Amino acid sequence: MKWLNPTILSIIPALAIIPVLILIGQGFHDGGSYLLIRVITSAFNPSKSILLLKSTWDGLQITVCIAFIGWLLSIILGFLLGLISSSVIWKILNGPKICAPLMRKILSIPRSIHEILWSLLLLQIMGLNGLVGILAILIPYSSLTARVISDQIDTIDIKSLRAIRQTGGNPFSIIITAILPKIIPLLISYGGYRLECSLRSATILGIFGFGGIGTDIQLSLQSLEFNEMWTSIWIIGIFIILLEHILGWYRRKFCFSPQAIRLILFSPIIGGIIFIACIIRLKQLDIDILVSPNFNSIYWPSINEIINAINELPLLNLTFSTLILTIFTSGIVIGIPAVGILLWPTRYGQIIQSSIWSIMRIIPPPLTALLLLLISTPGFAVAALALSIQNIGIMGRFLKEKIQTNGDKKLKAFQTYGVSKNSAWLYGCLVENSSSYLSYAAYRADVILRETAIVGLVGGTGLGWQLMESLSSFNWAEVLVLITIYSMLTISGEILSKEISNFWLLDKYKAYLQ
Amino acid sequence: MKVIHELSNIRLRGRKTNRLTNINLKIYSGEKIALLGKSGSGKSSLISIANGALYPDEGHVLFKGENIHRINQKKRQKIATIWQELLLIDELSSIQNVNCGALGKNNLIWAIRNLTGTLNPHFSSLCLLAAGLPAVYHNANIKLLSGGQRQRIAIARMLRQEAELLLADEPFSNLDPTLVKQTLNLLQSRTLNEKVSPPKTILVSLHRPDLIKSFDRIIGLREGKIIINKSVNEINELDINYLYS
Repeated sequence: MKWLNPTILSIIPALAIIPVLILIGQGFHDGGSYLLIRVITSAFNPSKSILLLKSTWDGLQITVCIAFIGWLLSIILGFLLGLISSSVIWKILNGPKICAPLMRKILSIPRSIHEILWSLLLLQIMGLNGLVGILAILIPYSSLTARVISDQIDTIDIKSLRAIRQTGGNPFSIIITAILPKIIPLLISYGGYRLECSLRSATILGIFGFGGIGTDIQLSLQSLEFNEMWTSIWIIGIFIILLEHILGWYRRKFCFSPQAIRLILFSPIIGGIIFIACIIRLKQLDIDILVSPNFNSIYWPSINEIINAINELPLLNLTFSTLILTIFTSGIVIGIPAVGILLWPTRYGQIIQSSIWSIMRIIPPPLTALLLLLISTPGFAVAALALSIQNIGIMGRFLKEKIQTNGDKKLKAFQTYGVSKNSAWLYGCLVENSSSYLSYAAYRADVILRETAIVGLVGGTGLGWQLMESLSSFNWAEVLVLITIYSMLTISGEILSKEISNFWLLDKYKAYLQ
Repeated sequence: MKVIHELSNIRLRGRKTNRLTNINLKIYSGEKIALLGKSGSGKSSLISIANGALYPDEGHVLFKGENIHRINQKKRQKIATIWQELLLIDELSSIQNVNCGALGKNNLIWAIRNLTGTLNPHFSSLCLLAAGLPAVYHNANIKLLSGGQRQRIAIARMLRQEAELLLADEPFSNLDPTLVKQTLNLLQSRTLNEKVSPPKTILVSLHRPDLIKSFDRIIGLREGKIIINKSVNEINELDINYLYS
């Protein structure tokens, strides 16, 4: 196993792209190629009609408001849930030991279901209501945030807290003085990242018909008005890129500075004002989230129906295809950015690559899937590629930021003695960043497993696809069975990905690979 | 004697003051030069300018008569540097790190093979032995090695490069007295070894005036300026005291 090392393992997975491209080629049909060419050319010529721009502007506001409200509530709720699912906190409060692990187990269920699935389930319960989109973001996001927060708190050594306790401080002042400063930088960096995610999710929710700019994209795609579609994509894209830059600046400036604490004290006020503004604006745009929804009574399937569903569904097959989809997508997503930077490390190469990754990040996967269907038949390859595009963009950005923060001293040292750019990049940048890259990749693979639900629909493969079929035929027994299996799968995926992530991050791999 | 490396009219600006001012230095082929000065006198900056890692604000650096920022890769391979912070790659073994010295001569495939550990380690082993690192450490995880051991890996990496000019930034700082002597002998080419030969021309920055007897010429830096440029025989205690006062 000597030859296996993190760098090689960051490069080799790129090979997964080959079978996927071959399959796309095999499924190629000419029917939509002229449409695809029109799609691509329209990207450079988006529609600029005033009427369209006005409606896109309204759509953008709806998406942003939904994203912001869902995000803000999820951060607050996630913070509280994070506190009560941390074992350190329970130790400080002298509570029963079982509480923290129990809370963690319970919280792993809401986040095991993708926000799109939540939205479709909530739709059945609440009907088409403004709250659906917000809740669909709030439910999984708050439990994701809770996990990150409690993980961070639990890295604190309980012994170090004794010193504060001996000064006679009560448990709450311990939490405020010892724990809050540890979580604030995390809240700023992770919270900012989640805001970006929330905006992407709100856009995808739109594509599934929940209003906002995503719906505009979906409608113009259906009516083959590609120029109009691109207007919406560019607008939301520019918005996301701007947000990325603002948040990046904010992170760099405040994350580790004492000002951060002061800023955090102000942010509830700022957040509250924007929150109220969002609700008012949504109401002006005819989306009232303060009206109580009409709850439909949920139809609970009988035991017999559930057993029938288990017998009739090809569960093993579906699970297997979901896993294969996850593995191939993860391979492409891990390998392509690493290979890209290795083969084309020049200054222009890097600028071009990071622009491509930026564009990839703004195109929602269901849309990529729909576009790919114009030239290829539905199936595994289309789903894998569609899911890869956005995630490559995200991994590419991670790699770039990682390299930037570690500095280019080694890279420059290699160049002083005539090492070629490619080799200098390989040794000066990739080698030292590859284990943290793989660690992040393990987390990304976990996200990809959840996301198979959304491309399953268009890609015609895996549990996601079957779930959409069962949902649209109101077969509640099947829906229940599939969601249970999906949850179990993603919960195991989460545990596995955490193990793999630590394997790379904590140098555990050295014991095995060297 | 032929001039191999030349720094002329170099000025490097820092945040408030100049880090280097009016540096003029000719290095002749085969010379062994010691660069002395207090911490912060500009020794490391001068070395980074000399190997082309830093661009000076004024002036230029010529290697064999050509501007260092315009020479081709092949010529650059003739200039080796031992960095003060060593710049080893912690993720790789000793041998793999030493192989990095030959990255310039080889292509990307070779670089990838080095990562996978499938290259013939013979020559790199010789370099490590010449630098004084026993064979048991050749495949070690270098994160676990001591400062002195890591220093020897950096020296071996430089030997592996087979350069003509060596620029070394305090290469003895982590070594014990025996190893200092051994390394000095090696750099002076007094240790005879058929395969491993150090660069003929060397510029070494030092913290220890007691070592200067092994060199031909002494350059003294103070506040970014060259204030001493003499043959080692002409140096007296006053010069040294002035340099460190």
